[in-house]
Amino acid sequence: MKLLSILVAETIKSHQHNFHNKLIYFSLLIWPALLFVTSYYSFKPFNLSDSSPLSAYMDVDQITMFLLTGYLGYIFFWSLVQSAWGMSYERQAGTLELIFLTPVSRIVVMFSRAAGNLLEAVWLFTGFTLFVLVVTGNAGDIHWWNVPLGLGLLSVSAIVWGGFLNIVFLFSRDAGILFTIFEEPMQFFSGVRIPVLAFPLWGKMIALIFPLTYVLEIFRDLVLNGKGLVELAEQFIVLFGVLAFLAIVSAFLLKKAETHAKETGNMVLF
Amino acid sequence: MIEAKNLGKVYTVKKKINFFRSEKEKVNAVKGLNLTIGEGEIVGLLGLNGAGKTTTIKMLSTLLNPSAGKITIDGLDAVKDAIKVKSMVNMIAGGERMLYWRLTGAQNLRYFGKLYGLSGGVLEDQIQNLLEEVGLTEASNTPVELYSKGMKQRLHIARGLINNPKYLFLDEPTLGLDAPVAKQLREMVKSLAKNQGKGILLTSHYLKEVEELCDRVYIIEKGSLILHDTPENITASVVKNYHVKIESSALSTSQQNRIKQSLTGCSIEFSEQGDSSEMQIIAPFDPTALIISVCIKESVAIQKLELKRPRLEDAILTLAKEKLA
Ligand SMILES: Nc1ncnc2c1ncn2[C@@H]1O[C@H](COP(=O)(O)OP(=O)(O)OP(=O)(O)O)[C@@H](O)[C@H]1O
Ligand SMILES: [Mg+2]
Repeated sequence: MKLLSILVAETIKSHQHNFHNKLIYFSLLIWPALLFVTSYYSFKPFNLSDSSPLSAYMDVDQITMFLLTGYLGYIFFWSLVQSAWGMSYERQAGTLELIFLTPVSRIVVMFSRAAGNLLEAVWLFTGFTLFVLVVTGNAGDIHWWNVPLGLGLLSVSAIVWGGFLNIVFLFSRDAGILFTIFEEPMQFFSGVRIPVLAFPLWGKMIALIFPLTYVLEIFRDLVLNGKGLVELAEQFIVLFGVLAFLAIVSAFLLKKAETHAKETGNMVLF
Repeated sequence: MIEAKNLGKVYTVKKKINFFRSEKEKVNAVKGLNLTIGEGEIVGLLGLNGAGKTTTIKMLSTLLNPSAGKITIDGLDAVKDAIKVKSMVNMIAGGERMLYWRLTGAQNLRYFGKLYGLSGGVLEDQIQNLLEEVGLTEASNTPVELYSKGMKQRLHIARGLINNPKYLFLDEPTLGLDAPVAKQLREMVKSLAKNQGKGILLTSHYLKEVEELCDRVYIIEKGSLILHDTPENITASVVKNYHVKIESSALSTSQQNRIKQSLTGCSIEFSEQGDSSEMQIIAPFDPTALIISVCIKESVAIQKLELKRPRLEDAILTLAKEKLA
């Protein structure tokens, strides 16, 4: 009940902040759609038949689906990087201090904030994805009964990721560096455009850093390859391990941030 | 009852020496401060810039942990029971920050109300009542970015009352407000204490405001308490001099000398202005009766007499001067 109340409060707050003008639709739909289209057409000129080197790692006929699912996952995760950026705004505006003045559970606020931002940020592109599926005649290749589970998994992972980022942003005065890390590298190394399996060893190591990598793999196996829970058990265990780790680190960092703030009168550690 | 005993705060600040090295420096913001705030009482906290007022308020509102000493709020420890204490206190600072500008007044209150665990009809009633109390009912659905300074300040007050706190800390609540708005705010603060029994701590640079509102005043300097009393007692004990200004008909030099002689122990300055003259008298006692009798004896026509009662402001200035001397 309390949780729901905070969730609603954060959702309304973020809506009021983000839907201030129409430009928001650019970042919600046009920008991700452009990312998808440009990737799609950069693959086009290459040999995408069964003899292509990519075919060792994926079904090359599925390239449209592969990119669409990749960008869908990416938008879930990237939108929460942007929302976490708002934490530095809250610190400057002094509203962060007011949140800490209240007795509310801090961890609930951090994760509600992520959840509240997520739905708003992804519904348009999710709709776009469905639209492309239907228009390109690829709807028949989707394992629809797995879609709710896949989207649920994507959402939960994104919320854990977003809550973690919100807390990380409590510490950093400059959001710029995190943007640099998460924009292009996350797109590349998480396997949004190219399967992780196709990376050299060092690339695979980097891929393991990004939680999106684990989620995307399962999401594609569920939705594109129609694999069942039993087949994916091992991957699920790894994903939940990663999410549990993120959650524990989040709780720890949040404690540290508040203790530090009570010592120094400042949220910024550096 | 809030009780702060031997309260201290040391900030550690990193100072950069060069790219690789930085040095830690300690700032003693508050030292050995003892302070109490009772229910229904308005207590003032005065001091020059950097004296440690905001630091003290942040410790009382559990945003900062003290480096020394102990704060108890109705028996609860402000550090150990911080979460419980948070629902009993609230803090209001002046200014443009600390509000969501794109949210309306009502939405701001609703958001913070939910963080205090309020919901449903209770929360909505509380929001309506507070908006009415601060006179923002009509502006309740206007985004805060369109509010004037005074409106924002009134919304701050409403926000500070959203959890119906037993104790309220006000950090320069009238900063930058014009006289009528500030007066309105003072009335409200008075009523919060006297009619609703809230304990209030107030910092302000407007000493008249402090004099008008506060039952007791703490004066701190560089983090240490230098004086604690009622505003009247502080003024009476610190400012020993009375100032009297008299405008009269022109005085001859011999008249001036005789007046000087009959007012021993006072300092008098004369200045001539055409066919009138002005006397400035500073005396360690109230010299009005004496000066009038001398003027009658000398047949001097008094045109204007001004007695300046010592104010808290004079007390603070005197204290500051004593420190410099
Ligand atoms: N977060 C902080 N870190 C380090 N030093 C601080 C911090 N906050 C305040 N100080 C220092 O502590 C001292 C007291 O500051 P404080 O803000 O409590 O004063 P104040 O009485 O509220 O002043 P003002 O009237 O200007 O608001 C000052 O020397 C200030 O520089
Ligand atoms: Mg201050």
